[in-house]
Amino acid sequence: MSRKLDYPSAEDQALVKAAQKGDMQAYEELVARHRDKIYARAFSMMRNEEEAIDLSQEAWVKAWQRLKQFQGEASFVTWMTRIVINLCLDQLRKQKRLRAESIEQMDEELGGVERQMPIITPNPTERLERNELRQRIDKALGQLSYEHRTVLILHEFEDLEYKEIARRMACSIGTVMSRLFYARRKMAVLLAGLKREELR
Amino acid sequence: MISHEIELKLQACLDGELSSDETRAIEELLARDAGARSLFEELRATRTLLAGGELEVKLPETGEFYWSKIRRQIELEDRRSPSINAPEPVSAWWVRFVTPAGALAALALFVVVALKHSEPPEPILALDDSHEIETPLEETSSFSFRSEAAAMTVVWVDSHRE
Repeated sequence: MSRKLDYPSAEDQALVKAAQKGDMQAYEELVARHRDKIYARAFSMMRNEEEAIDLSQEAWVKAWQRLKQFQGEASFVTWMTRIVINLCLDQLRKQKRLRAESIEQMDEELGGVERQMPIITPNPTERLERNELRQRIDKALGQLSYEHRTVLILHEFEDLEYKEIARRMACSIGTVMSRLFYARRKMAVLLAGLKREELR
Repeated sequence: MISHEIELKLQACLDGELSSDETRAIEELLARDAGARSLFEELRATRTLLAGGELEVKLPETGEFYWSKIRRQIELEDRRSPSINAPEPVSAWWVRFVTPAGALAALALFVVVALKHSEPPEPILALDDSHEIETPLEETSSFSFRSEAAAMTVVWVDSHRE
């Protein structure tokens, strides 16, 4: 008879192994540990609480069904994050927010308004409370288009390479580079703008 | 003003996505072009600002409620089509063991019964003076068996159809 697993103190790996054998309690513990992170990623992409809750829950259900495919090449939470990102991308595509021939994309290809923007250098050494800085970044992210925000999130927060982002978003590497460039330039402007707004 | 292609290369250099030759070319450009240098610095500063700058968002509902919906959905999906991760019930062990064993037993029983039926029928009663066997029409391959003691007559008819 195997020893009973101490769920709260067990490592993710042990919980995953137990869940792979059908242990629902082990899976519940994994959900409890990582639900905020998975929800947060869905929210950052969708910018909508309800959709983020639904998609993150769908990700947990899908992950349970595919749990035996998880071999532990990456951490469990990384694997989960990839699942929720894919679901969000599917949802965004369904909503036609990722239109291949959007005006925005044409704008990017031709050289949008951001090309004319003066160069702004946000000062990372400025003394800001970490949470305040995060609030500003989040507010600025909320003002980007879905395409720009998604590329920025996948590159800056998920550390994905251009090639991988292109694969996931079903677009060319050139489009990824272009979107990332304009997303960064917009962020520089928005962060500087927010700063000015708050100083008034 | 630098071209868009160069702008993207500056960014790719920052992200470590260029080959060593391309990186060297961009470094040379940065050394001689102030505009390229400014843009590169802006991109770098924005990237630094974003690093670790993601807002920590919390789930806006209780963990119990959130989990209960996940669990219900998992159970529903498993009922529809058992997932590959669905826990295997103990009875599944039995079924896995009993099914082939049962099939083997049924096969063995069938063989025994078939062999029994292929043998000539054993006489129910031992033949003695009180019994007589008649085969009145040889060509029809029928014969009868009568037992006085048992007060019984049995007739076998074989049509010999070939």
